[in-house]
Amino acid sequence: MSETSASKGGFGAWALDPKRRGAMLVAPALIILFVMNIFPLLWSFGLSFFNYKASSPRVPSFRGLSNYERVLTDEKTWERFQTTAVIVGSSVLLQLIVGFLLALMFAKVFPMRRIVLMLVLTPMMLSFVSVGVFFKLFYEPTFGIVSYVMNIFMTDKFVMLGSPGGAIAGIVIADAWMWSPFVMLLVLAGLVSVPKYLYEAAEIDRASSWRIFWTITFPYIKSLLLLAILFRTIETFKLFDIVYIITEGGPGSSTETIAVFLYRNAFQFFQTSRSAALAYIVLFIVIVLTNLYLYAVNRREEEVT
Amino acid sequence: MSNLKVDNLRRNYGSVEALDGMSFDVAEGEFFCLLGPSSSGKTTTLRAIAGLEELAGGAVHFSGQDVTEAPVQGRGMSMIFQTFALYPHLSVEANLAHPLRRSGASSADVKKRVDEVSELLRVTHTLKRKPSTLSGGEQQRVAIGRAIVGRPKLLLLDEPLTNLDAKLRHEMRAEFKRLHRELGMTMLYATPDQLEALTMGERVGVIKDGKVVAIGAPRDLYQHPGDTYVAQMVGSPPINFLSATGSGDNQVELPFLGLPVAAPGVASGQSVTLGLRPHDISLAGGGSSRATRFPAKIHLTEPLGDVTVIDVTARETGMKMVLREEIAAKYNVGDDIEIAFDPEDLHVFDPSTGARLGNGATQKN
Repeated sequence: MSETSASKGGFGAWALDPKRRGAMLVAPALIILFVMNIFPLLWSFGLSFFNYKASSPRVPSFRGLSNYERVLTDEKTWERFQTTAVIVGSSVLLQLIVGFLLALMFAKVFPMRRIVLMLVLTPMMLSFVSVGVFFKLFYEPTFGIVSYVMNIFMTDKFVMLGSPGGAIAGIVIADAWMWSPFVMLLVLAGLVSVPKYLYEAAEIDRASSWRIFWTITFPYIKSLLLLAILFRTIETFKLFDIVYIITEGGPGSSTETIAVFLYRNAFQFFQTSRSAALAYIVLFIVIVLTNLYLYAVNRREEEVT
Repeated sequence: MSNLKVDNLRRNYGSVEALDGMSFDVAEGEFFCLLGPSSSGKTTTLRAIAGLEELAGGAVHFSGQDVTEAPVQGRGMSMIFQTFALYPHLSVEANLAHPLRRSGASSADVKKRVDEVSELLRVTHTLKRKPSTLSGGEQQRVAIGRAIVGRPKLLLLDEPLTNLDAKLRHEMRAEFKRLHRELGMTMLYATPDQLEALTMGERVGVIKDGKVVAIGAPRDLYQHPGDTYVAQMVGSPPINFLSATGSGDNQVELPFLGLPVAAPGVASGQSVTLGLRPHDISLAGGGSSRATRFPAKIHLTEPLGDVTVIDVTARETGMKMVLREEIAAKYNVGDDIEIAFDPEDLHVFDPSTGARLGNGATQKN
């Protein structure tokens, strides 16, 4: 076939030449990656040094680091970081607890285990938007199921998202509901990797079940737990969809995470350059977290081998 | 006084009977070996005694108490696993200290015991290291150390030498004997290797299909095997089995011999299986009786250094014999030789049941 196309000449033959066939095959992916990811990334990095507003036809002028300065000195930014930290902290903690308990449950063999396991894993496979919509409906004060159940026990009308604390709890619960199965999967992997003979040896050593857990089980799941914490921290730090759908950052700005704040600034107030600067600060934090994560992964690999 | 009494243990995996009425007693301070081929139920027996197996029936009595339902932790026994089962994430020191942590001993006491044990087993230099950095022999000794550090009354050993090379196995056999002498604890040792059972055991229980078929001192089992199974389990190279027919009262006829030989307990016309140890066959010298000398052809030789195992054929009957190396060196494969045996050395068995006939039958337990 290559002969016939070579005799015909033309672009097809040129492109299918074995010398450049590989490059030609990856080219489309590379082009898309560049156009859709790398170029916007670099462009926005450039923008963060100008005073560009996407809503204004004015020609932007170079402002140096002033956008970074303004973002970092803005009290609002720090408030949003605090809100994010509260949501990340409580959500990851809740995910760890629930995920860990689920893993302990699924480490044992019981009837219908596979089916129950599959059901427990479903939240993780849903899209953020559908999870957000579900929970918005659950929390809905007039006909939501959560409000309905709470109203049975309470005299006042229960409005989950009415107070800052309630709204944060609502988001944390939705996020934890979605991602606890992920923590469970990681912990379960650790639990099943413990060789059975170690448990038997520990029993022979007359260790109590509590001690068996701390000296045998925990060392095996320790690094996986760390992975789960880091991975979930990175992901929750960027939490946007669920918050935007359930509370839109409200009431007030009490659930406005850094991602929602960024979105607002960029696409509602059109402070494009300032948002780009903030986005780069967030990116930096995520990169630091990611490197911690990779470090943990490598350590786990070393331990296991 | 019987220290450990294993009574009619039953355990099945699906339709397979792993333990089919396993019974034996071990006296206090005794070194008792369970000898049997793989999957005959040795490991299951030890695990059942330790409490790691669910039993379908039977009882385990230890130090006068019924411990069949007792938790593993409360039995006062220790076990060495075939795979050593060291804690891979803990240092050797922490591995050795693990059984002591529970009893609320002070850390000084723990350290003292760990030091004593590591000295006894010569692993002091490895204390700070992780088990995976140790050689097989060192790991083995650490596993022994962890098993004895809590001063158990009974030590269960599940094929502890299987994963070691031949030289280490030899050293460790001596080590186990030394430990048994120095610590004086009761030891129950499971092995598929007749050499280990014979060299270490004060008594040996031969296992077949989940039950003990013979118990005795190694020497008795070797010299008076109660049946063909025990005869071929004990002794290396394995015993030769020859088919023969009774040619009159108390004598048999062998196809490769011209004259009948004495075999007590055999009736005329009865077909029997004769057992003849390779070590009991020798080159025919001037003194050997005419009746038991016969020509044979060398088929195969296996030099073992000091001795050579020789496969010979006599009138289409194959058998193994052992000659000292300097004598065996004079012969080649294909040579014809004259060999002989002493009729006293014949073991006579019933071919259908395998049971020993005539004199010297050991009492079956």
